[in-house]
Amino acid sequence: MFKELDPILHSQLRLAVVSLLIGLKEAEFTFIREKTNATAGNLSVQLQKLKDAGYIEVIKQFKDNYPQTTCRITPQGIAAFEAYVNDLQSYLQTGK
Amino acid sequence: MTENKHLSEQESLRLITTMIEKARGSYHDTGIGALLWGSVVSVASILTYLQQVYHFRIGFDIWLVVLLAIIPQIVISIREKKQVKARKYEDDALNAVWLIFGISIFALNAYQQIVPGQTRTIIHAEGWEMMKHYTDGSKPDEILLPFAPSIYSFYIMLYAFPTLVTGIVKKFKPMIVGGVLTYGCFILSLYTRAEYDWLLGGFAAIVCWLIPGIILRRKYLLQKQANV
Repeated sequence: MFKELDPILHSQLRLAVVSLLIGLKEAEFTFIREKTNATAGNLSVQLQKLKDAGYIEVIKQFKDNYPQTTCRITPQGIAAFEAYVNDLQSYLQTGK
Repeated sequence: MTENKHLSEQESLRLITTMIEKARGSYHDTGIGALLWGSVVSVASILTYLQQVYHFRIGFDIWLVVLLAIIPQIVISIREKKQVKARKYEDDALNAVWLIFGISIFALNAYQQIVPGQTRTIIHAEGWEMMKHYTDGSKPDEILLPFAPSIYSFYIMLYAFPTLVTGIVKKFKPMIVGGVLTYGCFILSLYTRAEYDWLLGGFAAIVCWLIPGIILRRKYLLQKQANV
């Protein structure tokens, strides 16, 4: 049954990132790392995977001479998250 | 948090709920802006009331202090913008509401300053004047300069608007209560003499911004302490 769930989202850290971004307009890399308790390296890899899937947008810029990475969810990411939650709900209802 | 940990459906739902909650409670307003405006507007309003009731002058227009408070507000806004690491969807909308509130206050002030003079010019051009006539005949008629009567009621009404919007959007009860009470002050001010409108305006600034500002500041400091 779980095979039907979106493999991009059905991963602990990626799901955490998308669930966090769904309620925000945008968030800095440091904020996401702090809220997910992930390591910088692991988080970077997972953000890249979400970006490659088109679920998030990653903006790299300089703020006060320091590099700053900001992430925001894309409409595609919102649709994928909604579909994931719906699939999860149907799974739970079937399981009852 | 690891990438490949197998998630059960319950764990997935729990994780989603936790992260949405974390996003929702991600940060609190510092409360400094609300404290600043709550203090200056309440002090200016109450002092204006005292000056009118007890017939004394402090030597300068206290509302100039309110105008000058824009400078620290700009500094606060720039500093807070730099510190914010995540932005919520409603932040931009609420910032727009407060910006338009500021513009509306200036517009109302312009009305207050310009309309009486303009009215005087127009009625002079038409060849008539406004007169103050004592119904008991105790004093002779006096020429009356046009003025906007009890205009502070409109300011009170404006104070309630962005406060109530913010309170409802952010589900922040002190601002909802403040906004509702301020609309009450507006209604009351329609029936009171102009000098009491200042007192009601002072009360409105306290319930709209000063008290919510104190609560926000305490919450912010507690959150900051917890994150250390």
